[in-house]
Amino acid sequence: MSGWRGLVVPLGVLAAAEVAALAAGLQSDSLARPSEIAAAAGVALVDGTILRATVQTLAAAGAGLAIGTSLGLALGILLGLFRTAGRLAEFSIEAFRPIPSVALIPIVLLIFGFGYRMEIAIVAFATFWPILILTQTAIAGIEPRLLEVSRALGFGLGRRVAKIVLPAALPRLFVAFRLAVGIALIVAVTVEITGNTLGLGYALMDAQQSLRPALMFALLLWVGLVGWGLNALLLWAQARLFGPAAMVEARP
Amino acid sequence: MSASRILWFAASILVGLCLVAIWQLAADARLVSPVFLPGPDKAWAALERGIASGELLDKLLGTVGRMVWGWLLASLLGIGVGALIGISPAARAWLGPTLEFLRPLPASAIVPVAIAFLGLSEGMVLAVIGFGALWPMLLATVHGFAAVEPRLYEVSRALGLSRWEVIGKIALPNALPDIFAGLRLGLTVALILAVVGEMLASREGLGLWILLSARAFRAPDLFAGVILLGLVGFASALLLSAVERRALRWRLPPG
Amino acid sequence: MDSLALPTCEPLIRFCGVALTLGGRRILDPIALDIGRGEFVCVVGPSGCGKTTLLRLIAGLYLPTEGQVLYGGKPVAGPRQDIAIVFQDYGKALLPWRTASGNVSLALEALGTPRAQRPARIAALLAKVGLAQHADKFPGQLSGGMQQRLQIARCLAQEPSVLLMDEPFGALDAMTRQALQDEVLGLAASSGATVFFVTHDLEEAIYLGDRVVALKPNPGRVADMFEVRLPRPRDQLATREHPEFLRLRRTLFDFIKEAEA
Repeated sequence: MSGWRGLVVPLGVLAAAEVAALAAGLQSDSLARPSEIAAAAGVALVDGTILRATVQTLAAAGAGLAIGTSLGLALGILLGLFRTAGRLAEFSIEAFRPIPSVALIPIVLLIFGFGYRMEIAIVAFATFWPILILTQTAIAGIEPRLLEVSRALGFGLGRRVAKIVLPAALPRLFVAFRLAVGIALIVAVTVEITGNTLGLGYALMDAQQSLRPALMFALLLWVGLVGWGLNALLLWAQARLFGPAAMVEARP
Repeated sequence: MSASRILWFAASILVGLCLVAIWQLAADARLVSPVFLPGPDKAWAALERGIASGELLDKLLGTVGRMVWGWLLASLLGIGVGALIGISPAARAWLGPTLEFLRPLPASAIVPVAIAFLGLSEGMVLAVIGFGALWPMLLATVHGFAAVEPRLYEVSRALGLSRWEVIGKIALPNALPDIFAGLRLGLTVALILAVVGEMLASREGLGLWILLSARAFRAPDLFAGVILLGLVGFASALLLSAVERRALRWRLPPG
Repeated sequence: MDSLALPTCEPLIRFCGVALTLGGRRILDPIALDIGRGEFVCVVGPSGCGKTTLLRLIAGLYLPTEGQVLYGGKPVAGPRQDIAIVFQDYGKALLPWRTASGNVSLALEALGTPRAQRPARIAALLAKVGLAQHADKFPGQLSGGMQQRLQIARCLAQEPSVLLMDEPFGALDAMTRQALQDEVLGLAASSGATVFFVTHDLEEAIYLGDRVVALKPNPGRVADMFEVRLPRPRDQLATREHPEFLRLRRTLFDFIKEAEA
């Protein structure tokens, strides 16, 4: 109902920019008319450069995310289930966590050189900590009665985790995962902008350095679109998996 | 803090020290080439040397200054504009979707745009930090102002509070927990972007220090820089959460 | 003596053919009701009968779609500071970030009471509701009964001519409830305020009121009114054993059962 009002502002800004640029006879190395941006986006989409860069970025972000998430999840479950270990690890986690992931770029660069491996390593580091901490709190937040039940049923650790712990913590784990996906994309693009020669971030820097502002803005919008699309997809999945929408869908 | 809590924390520090010792043993045994992984003794020596000569301290101040200024700028703007949007349902309907679209945009993606306009300058780094830290603040503030308990609006009408009193006495305190969440996230983003900006624009700071140390294969210096950056993140988060605990005393559990 | 009797004939609050339709749904059919100055009126009725709506109309939080609510002879156009409301959900109606003192202070700030006079007024008001010991606690640290006392203190700070109470004790346990009933009676008697008290508890209505108004639902309308001729001050034991109390309870009980059937 109010949807149309949300479109007015961005469309209005684009139209105003178009008119202003036309009126001023814009010739610039840093600005471009919206219509030129759209044209550049069209060309880059058709000739596959945008798609190739997107696949590269998503592949690196996805691989890093997979590593960071599985390690964080495993350690988080252990530290959440065994409170003593969790308390003993508190200081070490608090000491490591605040290190900004981008500070590791030079070290990882020394080890792996430019390329996927370096980007994946940084993304894995960046996603590991939030997943670890949120998993730990999610596990610690499980109704203690449920854990008692699982012990009373005589489950071993593996089955306890698979049958009780993970299902009980799943909604909160998914929220953590959604956060980690956002971080993975941001870190991947950042690593590419800082010098890794692949993906959308590098394409953006390249467009700027070769003085093609139309392509640069087209890529910026595209990066925004990818981020927004991923977020929307995960929100949809979350509502579908855990929200009331799941109940409605359950009809025959 | 209770006695048992202190004891547990002391124990966890011991565990941390054990990890450092393992790191030392691994470095001494040359499990990893010292080019990549110097021992903690070497990193510590580099840290001491850098601080004693004042060089590392200068870089530290450069990074912290950039981070704090960009963050403050973003905070003021984010809270101010966020309050204006959050308090008005009309503004939310007009601007909300645009903000939601911009939220997941990786802040570093605007680096090239900032370079195109401002060159590899100090202003560019500040603009990127400010832009990146703005969104978490802005969106959290909008949410906080929009989510006022309707009953409280009725109470303020019954009491006859003026519009400004409602904003200052009801909406702002109500938004405070959200604003603090935004401030915390913004601070993390600001530190990351300060480092990235320094690396890209070659501005004096810890980010550049790390980059140059890596290029010269001075791993101990590099680790000293990373340790300092970790400390900056840790200390700033600690400071902010102390302020937050004070400001949000009322949210503490009863007792 | 005639000149003194005259003002009491003029009701403080008068519903003149007041009806309300919200979103195409008829909430209240035309209602005529007079409330005298200093009167304690209780309103009962099954849920959905418009008890709370009636209260919100006096408060000026709703405006009638037909007819008029007159207050002191003038139509109610919006909330006013000499009409105070005690909401049932005290947890939502108090500012969680302000201490007990701060919450009372909010009303004084709204009235424009000079800063220097506030502490003494706040202390007096908190003492009046028995919260003097808890002035520096946040609502989250107070029990339900204490939070409701705090809300009453904030309303008293407005020095209201009318106190509107919307099922104020509905969420409290029986002991706290009785204690607060007696406190409200005491406060009403000492301040001379008019009280409009919405409740779903018939005994509470009889125990407190000078008059009990019974409403019927779908759409809400006044079904009947009962004068409560019980001596004051009331007493939790003696009043509740009084034959008149038992008779009224019987009548109201039958009435509600009929209305809900």
